[in-house]
Amino acid sequence: MIEFTLNGEAVSIETDPLRRLLDVLREDFELKGPKEGCGEGECGACAVLLDGKLVNSCLVPIGAIAKREITTIEGYRHTRRHAVLAESFSEEGAVQCGICTPGMIMAAEALLSEHPEPTAEQIKEGLSGNLCRCTGYNMIVRAVARAAEKGKGLW
Amino acid sequence: MVNAYRPASFAEALRIRQERRVIPFAGGTDLMVKHRRHSGLAPQFDHPILLLGHLQELRTIDSAENELVIGASTTLADLARHSETPEALRQAIAEIASPALRNVATLTGNICNASPAGDTLPALYCLNASLVLVCSGGERQMNIDEFILGPGQTVLRADELVRAVVIPRESFDLTHYRKVGTRRANALAKLSFLGLASSEGEVIRDLRVAFGAVAPTVVRAKELEREYAGCRKKDLEQHRGALVDAYAKLIVPIDDQRSTAHYRKAICLRLLEQFLAEITRDGA
Amino acid sequence: MNLSHSVPRVDAIEKSEATTQYIADMEFAGMLYARTLRADRPRAKILTIDIPPLPAGYYIIDHNDVPGKNRIKMLIYDWPFFAEDVVNHVGEPILLVVGPDRDELETLLSRIVVHYADSAPILSIEEARRGSLPPIYGEDNCFAKYEIVKGDPEGAFAGAARIVESEHRTGYQEHVYIEPQGFVGLVEKGNKITVYGSMQCPYYVKNALIEGLGCAPEKVRVVQTTTGGAFGGKEEYPSLIAGHVAFAALKTGRPVQLLFDRSEDIAATTKRHPSVFRYRTALDAEGCIRGMDVEIDLDGGAYAGLSSVVLQRAIFAATGIYRVDNLRVSGRVLATNTVPTGAFRGFGAPQAFFAIEMHMERIAGELGLDPLEFKMSHALKQGDETSTGGYIWQAVKLPEMVEQLERMSGYTRKRAEIKQRGNAGNLPLRGIGLSLFFHGCGFTGNAEQAIIKGRATLSKLPGEKVEILVSSAEMGQGCQTTLRKIVAHALDIPLDNVIYANPDTDRVPDSGPTVASRTVMVVGRLLERAAAEMKSRWDTEETFSVTTAYRQPEWVKWDQDTLKGDAYPTYSWGANVVEVEIDPLTLETDIRGAWGVYDVGVPIDERIVLGQIEGGMVQGLGYATIEVMNMKQGHILQNSLTDYIIPTVKDVPPIESSLVANPYEDGPFGAKGAGELPLVGAAPALAAAVQHALGLPVADIPVTPEYLLRLLEQTSLK
Repeated sequence: MIEFTLNGEAVSIETDPLRRLLDVLREDFELKGPKEGCGEGECGACAVLLDGKLVNSCLVPIGAIAKREITTIEGYRHTRRHAVLAESFSEEGAVQCGICTPGMIMAAEALLSEHPEPTAEQIKEGLSGNLCRCTGYNMIVRAVARAAEKGKGLW
Repeated sequence: MVNAYRPASFAEALRIRQERRVIPFAGGTDLMVKHRRHSGLAPQFDHPILLLGHLQELRTIDSAENELVIGASTTLADLARHSETPEALRQAIAEIASPALRNVATLTGNICNASPAGDTLPALYCLNASLVLVCSGGERQMNIDEFILGPGQTVLRADELVRAVVIPRESFDLTHYRKVGTRRANALAKLSFLGLASSEGEVIRDLRVAFGAVAPTVVRAKELEREYAGCRKKDLEQHRGALVDAYAKLIVPIDDQRSTAHYRKAICLRLLEQFLAEITRDGA
Repeated sequence: MNLSHSVPRVDAIEKSEATTQYIADMEFAGMLYARTLRADRPRAKILTIDIPPLPAGYYIIDHNDVPGKNRIKMLIYDWPFFAEDVVNHVGEPILLVVGPDRDELETLLSRIVVHYADSAPILSIEEARRGSLPPIYGEDNCFAKYEIVKGDPEGAFAGAARIVESEHRTGYQEHVYIEPQGFVGLVEKGNKITVYGSMQCPYYVKNALIEGLGCAPEKVRVVQTTTGGAFGGKEEYPSLIAGHVAFAALKTGRPVQLLFDRSEDIAATTKRHPSVFRYRTALDAEGCIRGMDVEIDLDGGAYAGLSSVVLQRAIFAATGIYRVDNLRVSGRVLATNTVPTGAFRGFGAPQAFFAIEMHMERIAGELGLDPLEFKMSHALKQGDETSTGGYIWQAVKLPEMVEQLERMSGYTRKRAEIKQRGNAGNLPLRGIGLSLFFHGCGFTGNAEQAIIKGRATLSKLPGEKVEILVSSAEMGQGCQTTLRKIVAHALDIPLDNVIYANPDTDRVPDSGPTVASRTVMVVGRLLERAAAEMKSRWDTEETFSVTTAYRQPEWVKWDQDTLKGDAYPTYSWGANVVEVEIDPLTLETDIRGAWGVYDVGVPIDERIVLGQIEGGMVQGLGYATIEVMNMKQGHILQNSLTDYIIPTVKDVPPIESSLVANPYEDGPFGAKGAGELPLVGAAPALAAAVQHALGLPVADIPVTPEYLLRLLEQTSLK
């Protein structure tokens, strides 16, 4: 029995401890926000927060999650921070096909938690593990900068 | 069939390690990629994994007077943030993978994976890092260049676990690290170079050089370094060509999907020349 | 209100909240999983296949389970859904294993043994040309060959004062849509097959299924799910996957899901055509181009797919934006035992514009002329004849665009500065390069009129709502927003009143595939016309529908047999500058800045067009630099995202762009195509910059540090 906190709720699951966190989230908990883009920790589309830190859920076995805290986009999208990010992403054109977006937003949250007033370099570093093929990235960087500005005091 | 153990303590982890064949799993980022199967499937390991990443007693960084002791489950991110982390190691970590990976991957894992392209390895070799290996019978401490035997091979015994990595605290006047990756972020190394040097006036007190990703293990030639420790900068400049030629024999890269042997070797030697020139010019 | 003024994309918030459902997010009751067994060698006869005993509830689906034609409907019927007695490329699908447990599927798959008799594979354009091995296709391994001739090229060369030659090569490119390919197929009431999936062309898929199933059109339904990136990679290949799940659903009676693993996707799905272009240009004593001779070879991989059309576009783009009165352009697309190549943003134009622009740089270099001046002195103007004897009917804004580009990038000033400063010691080698390009909008030739015959429907619903019924697929390019804007603007109703669901072939007419930069220009135009008619009837009827059908503009004259006339009704134009710094030690290229000025007629939404510009530019820069894909014995060496490298956020330069207005009379509100254009000019501008930095001709892409080292060493040897 693996017990952990998922989006603020205590949950438990009886399953093969080697199963990827990504699959457990998507299949057992029906949280489709984290996506599989590569399965090898390269694209960041599966990114979630583990004890507040950004991790690629395709590389974490569920057995390692015992007693820890997971936040997915589903546990984040009701927050004011998310609203500011979503608005900023929309205003800057940072969303096209949308498949990288949940992971990007989790990465942005992790970044802004550590650097509430990030420089452009820090934003890029924070997003460096999230691949996007549609936007060319600059609009995403501008969106995060805009969110930091609009959301002063939130992070 | 148990396929994963989650010990409550390092002592329990050791006990399990004595009793059965298990695969130590700290961050596990290399292991999860190596053993991955098709999308949606759990990875497949030949033996049960021994989860270690959660053990707080291993997630430590202790700075004593003359050494830094890094617990086996300390993540690369935590190590990068720590004020006592040597500059060369900090620079190497900054260019590993991505933030999400560095939040999970460990220094110990990078060492035990023993990839020829392991990014922390050139720094650890140059800094004379050693590993504390523990089993029920006792402890031993071993220098990293004896610990790693070849690609994917270390001397870690089936009943041993790494408890910590120990790095002597030293300072250098010149730290020159360069990783040439396939792109600007989140890239595997085509080659890497680390040069460390200290001088007193015209005399070179300490000179250390290592190359990564261009041989089965890190290329470091302590005999060559010893030859030039204590010599004058003028002498180093005169013998620069010979020194570069000596290293050229030790650098034996391959052609692969990332780069060519020819390019890797040529750039390594250029970086070495640049470093040596820097020492003798204004450098240390 | 100005139509071009940006509005919030209609799907941005839901994508940020992750409520959008992609195919992998959909669950169907009783769904089974499918895995594909693929050929592991490039060319072989299948002798026998040993299949282990299957547990209850597990099935094998192979060519025997194809009720209709085991060929995917493209232009030539050579591409099988499942291999029959031969395999022609690594990764070719042989059969599916289908069942309820994925671990069990993996086990079954690993136990299947295929016994092959290997044949010598044809692994490169050169080997295909040599013709020493039995052909894969036809007599000469040629899926298609064409030649266009204009004027008197022989005469031009005979009378030339000087002839300049150069050869250029481009490599593979993989789309790397972040959402891997996937489909679900199921049988619904009345034995109707429905497929859901990530795709660009619902009707291509439907038509392929009709032939594969051998059934009536009413028995097939195709529903596009929001597509997580495509770039042309989901134009042809989805027909194959849809067939697979359809046959599986039929045989098992259950919904069947087939999702590709990333490595599988890289190994097995279509790629951009590698190319070789050989140029010869005849110049007169004044340094003016009198004639050009171009030979093109494309690598089509194992099956034809859309290669003949890619070749056509490459041929029509081969003389670039230049007026060349005497020319011969001939091209072939050759079959090799490698992964079939197919559509990818630009569709032959990125290859051609790389080649022609580098050739023009070469000529300018040999003549000692400034490349920009040389290029502009040969640029097409309104009224000029195109390479196929058609006309540039609309205004060409290149001079204005170049002027803007100069102001933005400082191109000429920097070129002079860099030349003056020279390159000393260990300082980075600076270079700046420029490219001029166009993209023929819409389908090549007369396909729009002769084959696609697109239709669009608008339905007025109660409550003053209007529904768009078209087969255009949202894949990130923003058509969910832009097509709504066109209709809302034409009807003068709020954007929120316009409904546009993902296309379902049961509900929408065939407005054609989402390709060729035609969605806004052609489908949008159909909607604009429908809206105009709807507006005239708005007050008189509460609910009604209007359907419009494609009409080719009367001035367009095209002969598909001789390839003469207007290959495209209009062109979008672009000018790019890229500035680089090359590390003299490692020869890594740092892209310091990229600038672009574009004429897309009129932007339906400025921010959406900007998104296409920046995304296309970055994809083109990746194509030019780090996106390396090599084959070894027909196996792709870079078959994971660790090894096939696309740009990260840290790899992209600051990008500055602007648009020049040039309304097109047959585009909705003056709009032309914008989706592919921005990728086309990036690689030549980058290569020209590197060439400038090194003072050495760069002939091929990708421009890797390894390539530059070879170039420099070869030069110092001479």
